[in-house]
Amino acid sequence: MLQQVMFRYMLEGHTASEEGKLAWVTSGFPVEIPQAMGVTSSYPEQYAAVVGSEKVGPTVCGFAEELGYSQELCSYARSGIGSVLHPDDSPLNGLPPPQALLACNNICGTVLRWYDAVSELTEAPVFLLDTPPLDDGQSAHHMRYVKSGIHKLVDFLSKHFGTELEEGRLREVAELSTQAISLWTQCLEACKKRPSPLNCADRFLAMAPVVSMRGTDHIVEYYQALLDEVNHRVREGVGAIRDERIRLLWDNIPPWFNIFKFFNGLAKRGVVFPADTYTHAWSGSISGDDLFESVATIYSNVYLNKGLDAKVDKMCELIEDYNLDGFILFSVRSCKRYSLGQMVSKELVSERTGVPGVIIEGDMVDSRLFNEAQIQTRIDALLEMLL
Amino acid sequence: MTQKPKYGIGLDLGSTSTKAMLIDRERRVLGSHLLPTGASAVGAAERCLEAIAIQAPIDVSRSITISTGYGRSVIESADRNITEITCHSVGVNHLNPDIRLLIDVGGQDSKVIRIGAKGRPEDFELNDKCSAGTGRFLEVMAGVLEVPLKDFGNLALGSTDPCEISNTCTVFAESEVIGHIGAGKRAEDIAAGIHASMAAKIASLSKRIRSTGPLGLTGGVALNPAFVHYLSIELGEDIWVPEEPQMTGALGAAILALDEGD
Ligand code: SF4
Repeated sequence: MLQQVMFRYMLEGHTASEEGKLAWVTSGFPVEIPQAMGVTSSYPEQYAAVVGSEKVGPTVCGFAEELGYSQELCSYARSGIGSVLHPDDSPLNGLPPPQALLACNNICGTVLRWYDAVSELTEAPVFLLDTPPLDDGQSAHHMRYVKSGIHKLVDFLSKHFGTELEEGRLREVAELSTQAISLWTQCLEACKKRPSPLNCADRFLAMAPVVSMRGTDHIVEYYQALLDEVNHRVREGVGAIRDERIRLLWDNIPPWFNIFKFFNGLAKRGVVFPADTYTHAWSGSISGDDLFESVATIYSNVYLNKGLDAKVDKMCELIEDYNLDGFILFSVRSCKRYSLGQMVSKELVSERTGVPGVIIEGDMVDSRLFNEAQIQTRIDALLEMLL
Repeated sequence: MTQKPKYGIGLDLGSTSTKAMLIDRERRVLGSHLLPTGASAVGAAERCLEAIAIQAPIDVSRSITISTGYGRSVIESADRNITEITCHSVGVNHLNPDIRLLIDVGGQDSKVIRIGAKGRPEDFELNDKCSAGTGRFLEVMAGVLEVPLKDFGNLALGSTDPCEISNTCTVFAESEVIGHIGAGKRAEDIAAGIHASMAAKIASLSKRIRSTGPLGLTGGVALNPAFVHYLSIELGEDIWVPEEPQMTGALGAAILALDEGD
């Protein structure tokens, strides 16, 4: 079913692109707005994950590197730029060409420069929704500022796609988005049970629709089916892995090129990951009298847009609520925003929860930066502490 | 195995040297051997095992072997492998149960481990990516100064006015050292600066692990008196060094091998 949903996503992207109604969006973009205005979205970050899973990261990133982009640049950005340069040599022949590029910097600042680079190549205009990082909650003026950005977004989309925003339609889309997110959240929370019905890789794959098709009705069906399956597993006591012995928290994007080998290898040793900080990032429902205010709140308060304290709190909360024995922080060379502060987090989280953790280093797409032997030693040592 | 093992064999396959240790149930050392790993970890391990077999001919069927170190998984004759993090903790804890923070500086990596009251690791940090802060750093610098590695520490201890080496990167520090040579600085003072710089690097790694309690140093670099001296200054603490600081990983593995049969 997941395959069908994702196939439909690709197909709809191509159709929209041909009709001149496709926008590329960043993963934390309030996609409900373009969706309500009849503009379809494609996700370069998700595409980059496909590049990673197909194990062609070094090749596609290499296309961007040939143009002069540094290996230090995020490998999602390099994959994105590389696949625009050489779609024929990239998985699925690249993403369908966009008519606009919608970036929200609630996940990082890299996306803006990345979309600027794509804009130079495709001539699609860039719109930036600026959501300055929050440190200690969202102030009233922050909210007003982001809200005014959403008004500008509506103007931008009206101008470029010749459409209008109707409040009724936005409410419908918001409601569908909320339903999908709520079902997804229930799937995640079912993993508090022992044995956990889902492992890390399961969640990383199953989250694709909630990232890329929030606000559509068919993904609500998909998440309902997933929740039924998860509940069935819980009732029957069927775990995601055969013999659950150790429950760990995962932090950060996974190494896409190695995702099955990595998590299944650990599963054979009785290690399951009932929770991670990444798939828990899609939460919050757009509602209330002032929908724009709701959008401005939710999209400013995403995990990566908050300070280190909030990250540490979240990790501690997950470790306690999901009854976890330890944690693995994946330090992703590409994603400075996600990986910054992990050294301090490790210390604080261990101190507060009393469970040990390790930091392993690598990348989500660029397999050249992944040293298996070094990672193995760190994880083995962690497991030896726990067994 | 129906009977308990009579002997434990620990094999530590480090990147620079391979060590083997044989102990009996009373944890008495019956044999031990150390060899440069060279190009073949398996070959070095076999030769180490042959050497301890000559030192103490035992009934091998009554022994259990545990391998550790970066090459731990390539040894087929081992019954099991355990990381060097755990093995070093167990080995050091056996020799000195008071030690709570262990710094191990090997030929090509360094690690800091907090050891719990039961002798098991509780937290650790590992540097296995960069030659600065490992024995390799001292080896390169000794080469630049044309001093045999074994004399390098003593040379540094003769310094009266240590040079400042501000770069911790091996490559940059090398050009800094060449600069000092060019400026006519004494070899003793340059050597002292090199040791102090490396001690600062290791101290900063060790500060990542919070610990209160006595400090131990193992690994080949612990044999270097100038490094121990500067590290102790840098950390403001006395440092305990075992008699054979390179053997604690193999010792820990041998002890764990005996536990295995229990
Ligand atoms: S830097 Fe991180 S948040 Fe930004 S695009 Fe790359 S992976 Fe995403």
